[in-house]
Amino acid sequence: MGIPSGYTSSQVVQAVPTGINSALVLISSTTIDSAVASVTVSDAFSSTYDAYKIVLTGGVGSVSDSAIALKLGSTTSGYYEALVGLTYANSGSNSVTNNGANFSRAGQVLGTSVLFANIDLLNPNLAQPTIANYSQVTSTLARVGGGFLNNSTQYTAFTFTPASGTLTGGTIKVYGYTNS
Amino acid sequence: MMATYKVQIDDVVRDATPAEVAQIEARHAEAQAQAEALEAKAVARQTLLDRLGLTEQEAQLLLGS
Repeated sequence: MGIPSGYTSSQVVQAVPTGINSALVLISSTTIDSAVASVTVSDAFSSTYDAYKIVLTGGVGSVSDSAIALKLGSTTSGYYEALVGLTYANSGSNSVTNNGANFSRAGQVLGTSVLFANIDLLNPNLAQPTIANYSQVTSTLARVGGGFLNNSTQYTAFTFTPASGTLTGGTIKVYGYTNS
Repeated sequence: MMATYKVQIDDVVRDATPAEVAQIEARHAEAQAQAEALEAKAVARQTLLDRLGLTEQEAQLLLGS
């Protein structure tokens, strides 16, 4: 199918136009305030979508290379994650969390000048485990991986918390992948 | 004296509750422990390389990482 009139190939739409069977739909956009220790986005997940993309861009962190954890709802156990990576000096640098309190490296402060997260989240609002895929990029290494949250809780909210320090500025955007 | 933190819920910013402070500080402590473990591993690696008389580059050639 061709691109509908009025849309470009990379455009994210607010509503799925007739004839389009798949799209990323913007659900929410949250601007991070000044020097906050955590940011919660409520009403991010619903029965409308099974899969989501969470993107954090812009802003700054107060502590260099601090990882940003992702917590779903108020759940603080049952998170499993594994990331494989290399330092830029070509040394192996993997990271695992075995039944932890969050997805500990779902986002990142790169140096102090960039906040970022690029997370694909599957099933957070379904009564089955939530699966997450993401990468970690710091000033010394890069890793890719993901994990799952081992419960059947249906979530609507998530929270970003840096490993240390605070976050200022930046925008958290949540998109839903259309189901059909 | 308990540290104070600001938390943001959507567009509202407020002081963290005691329970939230505990969670934030647990997160900070967890990250600090991981950083210290990583540092200890790096020191142990360097100590071993020194004992074997190998440079980091030679170790990478030998171990493939």
